Amino acid sequence: MAKKISAMDIYKLLPKINCKKCGESSCMAFATKLQERKVTIDECPILKSPKFEKNRKKLEELLSPPVKEIWFGYEDKKVILGGEEVMYRYELTFFNPTAIGIDISDSLPEEEIKKRAKFVEDFVFERTGEKLKLDFIALRNASDDPERFVKALKIIQENTNMPVALCSLNVESIEKALDIVRSKPMIYGATEKNFSEMIKMLISKKRDKKEFALTLSSSNIKTLKGMVKASLEHGIEDLILDPHTTPENIMETLDKFVMIRRSAIERGDKLLGYPILGLPINTYFYVLKGNNPIKQFVEKLDKAAAIMEARTACAMLNRYADGIIIHGTEVWELMPILTLRQAIYTDPRKPQTVEPGLYPIGNPDENSPVIMTTNFSLTFYTVTGDFEKDGVVCWLLVMDTEGKAVDVAVAGGQYCGDNAKKLIEETKIEEKVNHRIIILPGLAAPVRGDIEEKTGWTCVVGTRDSSQVGEFLRKNWNKILEEWKAKQEL
Amino acid sequence: MDIDELLNLMKKVKKIKIDNIEITADEIIINIPTLPPIPIPQTPPIREGIKRIVSPVEPKIEIPEVDWSPPVEKYKGYIREVQFGRPKSEGGRGKVIKIGGQRTLYRFEEVQPNPPVVTFDIFDMPMPGLPKPVREYFQDVMEDPVEWAKKCVKEFNADMVTIHHISTDPKLKNTPPKESAKLMEDLLQAVDVPFVIGGSGDPKKDPLVLEACAQVAEGEKCLLASANLDLDYKKVADAAMKYDHNVLSWTIMDPNMAKDLNRRLISHGLDGNRIVMDPTTCSLGYGIEFSINTMIRLRLAGLKGDELVNMPMSSGTTNAIGAREAWMVNPEWGDRRYRLPLWEITTGLTMLLCGVDIFMMLHPLSIAVIKEFGRLLVSKPEKIKVNTDNYEWIRA
Repeated sequence: MAKKISAMDIYKLLPKINCKKCGESSCMAFATKLQERKVTIDECPILKSPKFEKNRKKLEELLSPPVKEIWFGYEDKKVILGGEEVMYRYELTFFNPTAIGIDISDSLPEEEIKKRAKFVEDFVFERTGEKLKLDFIALRNASDDPERFVKALKIIQENTNMPVALCSLNVESIEKALDIVRSKPMIYGATEKNFSEMIKMLISKKRDKKEFALTLSSSNIKTLKGMVKASLEHGIEDLILDPHTTPENIMETLDKFVMIRRSAIERGDKLLGYPILGLPINTYFYVLKGNNPIKQFVEKLDKAAAIMEARTACAMLNRYADGIIIHGTEVWELMPILTLRQAIYTDPRKPQTVEPGLYPIGNPDENSPVIMTTNFSLTFYTVTGDFEKDGVVCWLLVMDTEGKAVDVAVAGGQYCGDNAKKLIEETKIEEKVNHRIIILPGLAAPVRGDIEEKTGWTCVVGTRDSSQVGEFLRKNWNKILEEWKAKQEL
Repeated sequence: MDIDELLNLMKKVKKIKIDNIEITADEIIINIPTLPPIPIPQTPPIREGIKRIVSPVEPKIEIPEVDWSPPVEKYKGYIREVQFGRPKSEGGRGKVIKIGGQRTLYRFEEVQPNPPVVTFDIFDMPMPGLPKPVREYFQDVMEDPVEWAKKCVKEFNADMVTIHHISTDPKLKNTPPKESAKLMEDLLQAVDVPFVIGGSGDPKKDPLVLEACAQVAEGEKCLLASANLDLDYKKVADAAMKYDHNVLSWTIMDPNMAKDLNRRLISHGLDGNRIVMDPTTCSLGYGIEFSINTMIRLRLAGLKGDELVNMPMSSGTTNAIGAREAWMVNPEWGDRRYRLPLWEITTGLTMLLCGVDIFMMLHPLSIAVIKEFGRLLVSKPEKIKVNTDNYEWIRA
């Protein structure tokens, strides 16, 4: 982390009157939340008064992250890039999830453009109660014809409200597209070759109040930094950095990503404190042209290209990419990318949990099984999803394991007899069923004895995976229940 | 052409160029006229007080020179190097693999000395639970672990093989340690690569199985998997010391727990250079973020000089194929033949970028991709030529 700003530094600039209008108990409490980026300075109404204008400016400066936050898209549908403060997520958290864009070529027939744009807009992959989606369309000027480019942009805008990246090195194409674009676009890009021409054109657009975020592209970080300096001098401040994605040696690219991020965060280099764009799409086309390193296993070039593209995308997600452009649209390719992004950008300050307690699944009665799982949201949603699909009817006890999955909670001591006892008492499950049997997940087998001892309930070790619970119950539940009842009569 | 005519012409044009001519003469005199010196206009110095006017319409835009140098860190510590296998010159079976030895976190700071290694998982009995996309590669050898190991080495160039003696589980076949040792002997004879030796996960049985196998593999510097806090880790460490092997120190996603176990192993007498840490791999989507944090914290602590956690790291990447998104047949999720290896690749790659040095994996395709990536880690920057330009995708 760069120099750490203390809550005290922030407190000094606050009104210090503890008016509680921000919802916090004191200005010091508000300062602490500001430091952790759990609130924004807008939530303090006093700071908005002219008297505090100076302090407000100082606070903004103090609180602005070392990697500038850049947005594009529509006011109500923004893609936000950057805003990062730390090198490693455990130090605080990573803030804005890597934006994922899918390309569309302007050489495609109208129907195809429409179809692909709709695909990007509608794609959704749901996990742990969260809908994982794609973020923007990267319209590329494959034709190099400004007219075609504009026409394709129109088709996209008429059929979707997805944020757009305008991708062309042809200054005329970008200029014409800027005239009709309805949102604030990302422009890709200014290169070492077209820099002067592109910036000149953009300065005049800026004068006409056109808004855009500009990607600067060079394989040389020093040059990139110089481009930032020149852009800022001309009032172009919403910048994104592309240090080139080289499919022959992706390590070169990843190294550059790290160097840029470390320069910004650990060395305080403001000129490199901008979001980074990765181009896994380069890997896709590289493999598609016949450079297939996995042909022993996957001969079809498009499938191999998709696998290698996903591998590039996932490596970049691990190495500070704030935005990526990809070509593949196979669901099996997008799933791991979206899942990895979700994982990296979950806030380590709050474990992903659901409320512990008792959840009736289906319409359970006094003879229904009692099953005990954890409050890790992934576990919970997986289990309830499976049960719903398989028509399982049961009482689901959700134990507070501090958001840990079954195996981790068993090892860590949260899935244990004491917590089970507490859960049984708090949920009054005893009043709901006429048996005393709990079905444990297969992974909880090692703590069966502990739970039986502490709770007095009989524990049955169920299946390892919740997708097999339905079958397990159909085969065994009646028998388990009868055996238990028979034992009670003895 | 008349010579006079030519001379006249030359007067007019100052310079002529004649192609393909042949001159026959007794004497040729060529007079080269000397040119008067060209006057070079002198730029008058701009007097102070006069400012150049830059037209607002046509600003001069260029990329200025700026200062920047790669942000290379100095690290106090290093990562220990651990060796598997023994060379023929020392009476071993041949192949030697080394992991660890890093002195930096990133390649641009210093190229990593050893590439990450992937070891192929094999089992001492057929695994009915293996998903089809994996089974299709090993179906023909699953009944015979020796053939299985041979296939990994011959067909897929395995650098190492991990034998999981799962049949020793008292709840499964309860195979006696003696029989596992016999199998171990056969495996050592069949292939020349180093081995990771795993048990069934039964805390009582594992130390016995590992000890018996360690004995027959004496001197081969295998990796005994594993010593952990649930079992008699001292017995495992003793076997390693007695028969010249390394120990996998396995803990659950907690850097302090890893440190604690390493400390115990070392104070029991095990050389720290014989320890590989396994801080647990949670697969993609099932808590991989916890593994990311733990591994990167351990690696940074090691590089900062903490000698209780500066061991190379291992990842049970195979966990990934147990994730439902990897194995489940579900048309909505697309073809499982690609989905499953990609799930394992993504998990492995993430672990690789957190500093993992040795990977236990299953799918040959995933292994190929991780190995290819690992080779880049030991290549010097700019050694691999880049021919494509960054912009071809726009026009593709």
